[in-house]
Amino acid sequence: MSAEQPHPDTELRARLAKAEVAIIGCGGLGSNVAAMLLRSGVRTLTLVDFDTVAKDNLNRQLFFRDQIGMPKTEALADTLLRIDPEAELRLVDRCISSADLVEVIGDADVIAEAVDGAPTKAMILEVCTRDLPDVPIITVSGLAGYDSANLIVTEKLAVNLYVVGDLESDIRSGLSLLASRVMVAAAHQAHAIIRVLLDCEDI
Amino acid sequence: MNVDVALFASLSAYQPDGQAGRHARTFDLAAGTTIATLIAELKLPDQARVVFIDGRHAEESAALHDGQRLAIFPPVAGG
Repeated sequence: MSAEQPHPDTELRARLAKAEVAIIGCGGLGSNVAAMLLRSGVRTLTLVDFDTVAKDNLNRQLFFRDQIGMPKTEALADTLLRIDPEAELRLVDRCISSADLVEVIGDADVIAEAVDGAPTKAMILEVCTRDLPDVPIITVSGLAGYDSANLIVTEKLAVNLYVVGDLESDIRSGLSLLASRVMVAAAHQAHAIIRVLLDCEDI
Repeated sequence: MNVDVALFASLSAYQPDGQAGRHARTFDLAAGTTIATLIAELKLPDQARVVFIDGRHAEESAALHDGQRLAIFPPVAGG
């Protein structure tokens, strides 16, 4: 490679640096996805969560003991700014609904669905695939329990919808959320977002 | 009319052939059949789900048309 040509990785990083990602839910998935995106070069994130950090979040979510009681968005922003002080973070510290979801997402290039409950997941997918048909959304479904991490995959489900998970493992079945399996799903989700932003055909 | 129907995750057990698997099965339906009608005929459980026709969002009140592919996806909890 000649000295005049930029390194391919530099070009890819530049594309990621211009991207905006909306992360809905800052728990086990969202907090870790945010950190992985930032470390990969995505600089602009919208962080959405209504909840505060609790002690029992610390087994899998990117929070610390001294953040217990803080709004998750603020606690996560503090951590992310320690990684990259120049990151552009927009915090939405409230419960979102189908009525204001599109407004909250704003001009994001990609949406990460990272909430807990199935009805809320369905609401987000419903609104985003209906009202934002050209904005890719990466959802996660099926990450609980002790089953093999190799069952967690990423696949395209609809024109602008990608799903990460084994599609089956449900916390309502009594399965616990293990940091290792949650992190596998979060890494799949973050990587799918990166590949979508880089226009990769096979996510 | 013929419509391909793919039921994901736990819903695959409701395919008429009783076989697991997300692959689509072809249904021979009466003209004018809606998604909601088909869901009722398949006796799908009342749970959170998202519906797509040919990869795009669809309302359950929508009528199906010959050659379309219907996909129904039920997200599960955990995040």
